[in-house]
Amino acid sequence: MKFAIALFAAPHSPASRRALRFAEAVLAGGHEIVRVFLYQDGVHSASANAVAPQDERDITADWQRFVERHGLDGVVCIAAALRRGVLDTDEARRYGRPAANLAPGWQLSGLGQLHEAVQTADRLVCFGGP
Amino acid sequence: MATLHLLSHSPFSDERFASCLRLLGERDGLLLSGDAVHALQPGTAPRDALERLPASVALLVLEDDLNARGLSDRQPARARVIDYPGFVDACLQYAKVNSWL
Repeated sequence: MKFAIALFAAPHSPASRRALRFAEAVLAGGHEIVRVFLYQDGVHSASANAVAPQDERDITADWQRFVERHGLDGVVCIAAALRRGVLDTDEARRYGRPAANLAPGWQLSGLGQLHEAVQTADRLVCFGGP
Repeated sequence: MATLHLLSHSPFSDERFASCLRLLGERDGLLLSGDAVHALQPGTAPRDALERLPASVALLVLEDDLNARGLSDRQPARARVIDYPGFVDACLQYAKVNSWL
């Protein structure tokens, strides 16, 4: 079966860890993840600049490794990312910002990508929320 | 069409839990994760509301979150404790998954 996973919460929230554990179980169960979509504060999980405290699990790095290792379609809402300072090189240049910090494995795109993922997947499972 | 409702916020901090219970269909499922497992605390209104749900509504609880909150010996007999593979399976047993964000 095909899953779409949307993450709305920041990487230091329990919801982010729950989403990652769920995503791991989806693949371990022989299912497919058509897209991981980061929205609202979830976009911080795609930052290459976040530094987790040494005694905490580095969820941002875990997400990045997970998406890359499995060649997943990791999409970050561009509007949510820009306002939170998560930029790729194109956006950093476009807005004259000093650095790009989008981690490898992720790409910035529009909210339409979430809509499309929902059409493609058998199930959408969302994590997070204020 | 049966729906699995995914709750992850404490029933003591906002109206998500109460709204969800009002909308539950007879064949729907309810999965408590994160702080939503606090609804199992005995002697509270949320716990009583869960006990009163029709028997046809499945009550699932995510094991990690239950244990993390020290409620593993408090769940009602009707609750089924599941791990992450069980969470994935539960999503597929229902036609839709509704996350109460």
